[in-house]
Amino acid sequence: MSSLRQVALSLIAFTFFAGGPVTVGADQESFAEAFRNVPMPDGFRVEASQEGPVFANASGMTLYKWPQHKLRNGYSGEPPGSPACYDDVLTVSAGLMSPYPPGISLPHLNKRKSCVDLWNPVTPAEGAQDIGDWTIVERRDGSLQWAYDEQPLYTSVKDQQPGDVLGGTRRRFGGDAPAKRVPVGPPSLHPPGFSIRNSFNGRMLATERGESIYSYDGDTADSSSCRSTCLAKWKPVLGPSLAREQGEWSLLERSPGERQWVFRGRPLYTYVLDSRTWSQKGSDETGWNNVFTQVADAYPSSFKPQHSIVGDVLANSQGKTVYIYNCGEDSQDQLGCDHPTETQIYRLAMCGAGDPERCLEYWPYVLAGENEQAVNRTWSIVWIDRYTGRFADPEQEGALRVWAYRDRPVYTFAGDKSPGDVYGGGTGEWRGQRNGLKAIMLRDDFFGGTL
Amino acid sequence: MAFCGVGRSTSGALLLGSLLIAFAVQADESRIRNRTISYVMTDLFWSVYQTEDAQNECPRGFNDGPREQFEKLFPDYDSLSIEKTQLAQEIQTWHPNTEPDDFEFFEVEGELSWGLNLDGQVSANDFTHPDGTLGIDNEVYRAVGCIIGFRGPDGVEHIFQNKAILDEVFNRMMIELTEVDSLKNDESVVITMYRGKDRLLTDATGQKVMAGGTQRVDYRWGESLIRRFTGQIVDGVLFTEPIAEMVMPWQNLSVPSVHVFKDARFQLNLSSEGASGVLAGYADVDTWYYQLIRNDSTHHLSNGQISAISLYKALRRLADSHPDPETGNNTAISTALDVRMAQVYIVHPDIKAAE
Repeated sequence: MSSLRQVALSLIAFTFFAGGPVTVGADQESFAEAFRNVPMPDGFRVEASQEGPVFANASGMTLYKWPQHKLRNGYSGEPPGSPACYDDVLTVSAGLMSPYPPGISLPHLNKRKSCVDLWNPVTPAEGAQDIGDWTIVERRDGSLQWAYDEQPLYTSVKDQQPGDVLGGTRRRFGGDAPAKRVPVGPPSLHPPGFSIRNSFNGRMLATERGESIYSYDGDTADSSSCRSTCLAKWKPVLGPSLAREQGEWSLLERSPGERQWVFRGRPLYTYVLDSRTWSQKGSDETGWNNVFTQVADAYPSSFKPQHSIVGDVLANSQGKTVYIYNCGEDSQDQLGCDHPTETQIYRLAMCGAGDPERCLEYWPYVLAGENEQAVNRTWSIVWIDRYTGRFADPEQEGALRVWAYRDRPVYTFAGDKSPGDVYGGGTGEWRGQRNGLKAIMLRDDFFGGTL
Repeated sequence: MAFCGVGRSTSGALLLGSLLIAFAVQADESRIRNRTISYVMTDLFWSVYQTEDAQNECPRGFNDGPREQFEKLFPDYDSLSIEKTQLAQEIQTWHPNTEPDDFEFFEVEGELSWGLNLDGQVSANDFTHPDGTLGIDNEVYRAVGCIIGFRGPDGVEHIFQNKAILDEVFNRMMIELTEVDSLKNDESVVITMYRGKDRLLTDATGQKVMAGGTQRVDYRWGESLIRRFTGQIVDGVLFTEPIAEMVMPWQNLSVPSVHVFKDARFQLNLSSEGASGVLAGYADVDTWYYQLIRNDSTHHLSNGQISAISLYKALRRLADSHPDPETGNNTAISTALDVRMAQVYIVHPDIKAAE
């Protein structure tokens, strides 16, 4: 870890304990999201992460829950208060995803992992007691496990550093995606009536009804330049009479009795012409911006936004759309298969009919330039064995140095011939959600951020 | 008197009739503004000629889907691995080939089909239109006509694709007719295809699209979809010249995809309220196939008994146009789509209008 990052993380950790907003720099992009102070057991803390503030154990490792998720033919995940992640090595498919039946042998039976091999239950210290929304639940062997809001808690073997969230995501996922693990954290510190959603661009602010929130460059905390005709397009987000200023949130009295919410010094609006929730359309107006409680880590400088008929996709330096691979097994424990430490049998089937060479031809890795270096933890450079798809040593013959997003390699698609082509999007089962690839979208005006 | 009376009545009736005709003509032309009238698509789906019991076109029944094929291929699946079963099927789906499989594929066997004579020829392989027109080219129909998912009104593809036109905007395609003098007969009109940005105007049910809505043009992400071509109106029917390549945004289950039609042409009955008819041309086979399977998982295909694996082989076998210069294999397949449109007012940004 760089010393600069260590300093930043220390500052974040310290300030988060105080429950206040965190700024590690002067510009907007350096803000991290403030959170509400909640009681926590001894030995736990809050870490800043790309997924917003998360609970972490004494080592700083992020805590995850595995909420119950309805799949096509039944449920996976954990109902409140009931751990379901154990040391059984599951050997057959669960048949949760139509049309394939249950009972088919899963791959690599001789070296399969159990759920707890990958997800460590968070165990309470001797004599620990319930506190706030933290409760202690009993596992089937009588051992104890911490739960938050009744959801049993785990750490991921993928996370290596404080603030890592490589094991799961708060990104919205549909009913046909695997039952994912979700980072757990304290509530965000925002007034009632607002909500936050994870996107590729960061943690986006909206009203509780999903109407995107915007701010205007020409405004200040004490003045709004949106008056008269401007109000035909922009609707100030008003606070109720009981609203009080707190932390980064203040109020601007537009007229007697009419108080507009202000976040980080900018009055807030919704865009009258938005026709979808979580829209980015208002940011097309000069000087207007979507509001993020924290902005995502920057993608590599050799990547760029690329216009397509779908919206703006992330592209490599040649303008080719960049894709991420998604995979979850049809097993009751819904183990992942989208990471180089996990089975590659699904990916190889999808990208090259089981032939690694065809995978390299059809879905080539995005190679890192010789002089390129990773600049953050979200976008890293990893060495990959070109045949197995697993991590490799740099010295290994034929190893590829490739860009990775959240520790997973990214790809382009040979079927995309021109900049802006997205012919690979949705390749694979369940529209690229289960064993397939999806384009990385920077702006999605058509699909409500579901891509 | 009686004669006179009849005469007055006749004269009155004639006058009334003339007025009504005049009003009707006027009404038909009333939505033409500045010699321009536009329409937005409300329905677009593969033309599938169906008889009531399907005995005419599918005398041997309908094709099996992935679920039925899986059961036949792997009766002892619980003694097999996921590589040998599910992944083997996924590999064939995503890396299809033209080698025969173990399932007999039921093509349409009837002689009738909707569509157009695309190549101007009448050959043994062509269909006949129900109106008697010979030489109809529609090999997509031959491939999908005996797959229940493609048959209306309740086939899974039929339902979701038309629903997506109403619900979504990604596929909001429209045509603008300019230089229009009459919707009845006009020797030359110019047609421009755009993608719109807005929802459709519907009645209070939210299901019936109404004429008279407005649509802004999507120049930002939809510019590559714009096509300009010419046509003529004969007895109220618009005939367009073939368009070399038309890209049609297509969606059914939230994956942005397209179809690519070569030598595509419209044949539409026009009125001031809407347009209906056919869009026909040659669909790029690979684009057609991958559009289907990217949007529909094997689960959805199973609901329509659509075996992607078998269908790909049929599409390749029946492809009838645009041979690959290297292999000689046809890359495109004749097709026709039923189209319905509602009249709409297209709003151009000032700068584009000026251009």
